[in-house]
Amino acid sequence: MKTKEDFPSINERKPDGLSPEGTPYRILVVDDSMFVAKQITQILTSEGYDVVGQAADGLLGLERYKELYPNVDLVTMDITMPNMDGLTALQKIIDFDKNAKVIMISALGKQDLVKQALLAGAKNYIVKPLDRKKVLERIAHVLSK
Amino acid sequence: MRVEYINPFVESAFNVMKEVLQSEVKRGELYLKSTSMPVMGVAAIVGLAGGVEGRVLFDMDRPTALKIASAMNGEELTTMDDLVKATITELANMITAQAVTKLHELGFRFDLTPPAIFTGDNMEVSNQDVEALIVPMDTVHGKVEINVAIRERA
Repeated sequence: MKTKEDFPSINERKPDGLSPEGTPYRILVVDDSMFVAKQITQILTSEGYDVVGQAADGLLGLERYKELYPNVDLVTMDITMPNMDGLTALQKIIDFDKNAKVIMISALGKQDLVKQALLAGAKNYIVKPLDRKKVLERIAHVLSK
Repeated sequence: MRVEYINPFVESAFNVMKEVLQSEVKRGELYLKSTSMPVMGVAAIVGLAGGVEGRVLFDMDRPTALKIASAMNGEELTTMDDLVKATITELANMITAQAVTKLHELGFRFDLTPPAIFTGDNMEVSNQDVEALIVPMDTVHGKVEINVAIRERA
C-alpha cells in the first residue's frame, strides 16, 4: 500500500517570490535588451514574483520607479544603457528613496565598477550570463533584509 | 595588434557560448586579415574606446543566428525578428564585456559601447590601418567568427 510518504512533496516550499504575508514581491526590471528583460522576467515570474514594470533605459527606469513608489519592492538595473546609464539611474533612485533596493545586472564585472555601484547604494551586483539559481538567490537575499 | 588583447576574447567567447548554449564549443585556428572580408549575413558589433580603440564583430549566417537565439531563449525562433536580434546582440555584449573585464584586471583601461547588429546579404567589412584577428568558434548550431580589431591610441 502506498503511504503519503511515497509521493514527493513538490508544493511544500513557499516560492521565493512571495513575501511573508503571502503577497508577491513587486519588481521593476530596467534593461535596454529585450532578450535580457524577457529572461529576467521569466526567471522571476516562475518563482511567483510580480514584475510590475519594465523600462528600456535609466531615465525611463527612474520615472517608472517614481510612478510605482511605494508599490515596488526591488529594481533590477542594467548598467550600459542609452539616455541614462544604470549607475546614474541608481544614484537618482537612491536620492528619491534612500531605502530603495536596487540590484545591478551587467555583463561587465570590473571591480571598480562593482565597487562604485555598491558605494552608490546598490544592494547586490550580478554579472551575466545569468544563471537562474544565482538570480533567485541574490534577489531573495536582498529582500530578506 | 598585441597578442595580450586577443586571448581574453578567445577565452570569454569559449566560456560564455558554452554556458549559454549548454553544449560543446570548439575553437578553430586564429588567423589574421588585413584587407576587407565578407560577412556571413548577421553581424553584431561592439565598439571599444579608451586607452585602446577598436571593435569586435561577431559574424554568423542566418540559420546559425536563429538556432543560437532559439537555444538561448528556450523556444524555437524561425524569423529574424527583434527578439532574435536582441539575443545575438546580447551574446556579443556578454562575450565582449567579460573580455573587457579580464583585460581590465591586466591593467588595460577601456570601455565598450552598446552593441549594434547588422543583417543583410553580400556585406563586407574593411579595416583601415588596423589588422583584424579572426577567432573561429564551432558550435553545435554552426560557425561563429569573432573578428577583433584593436589598436593603441595614437
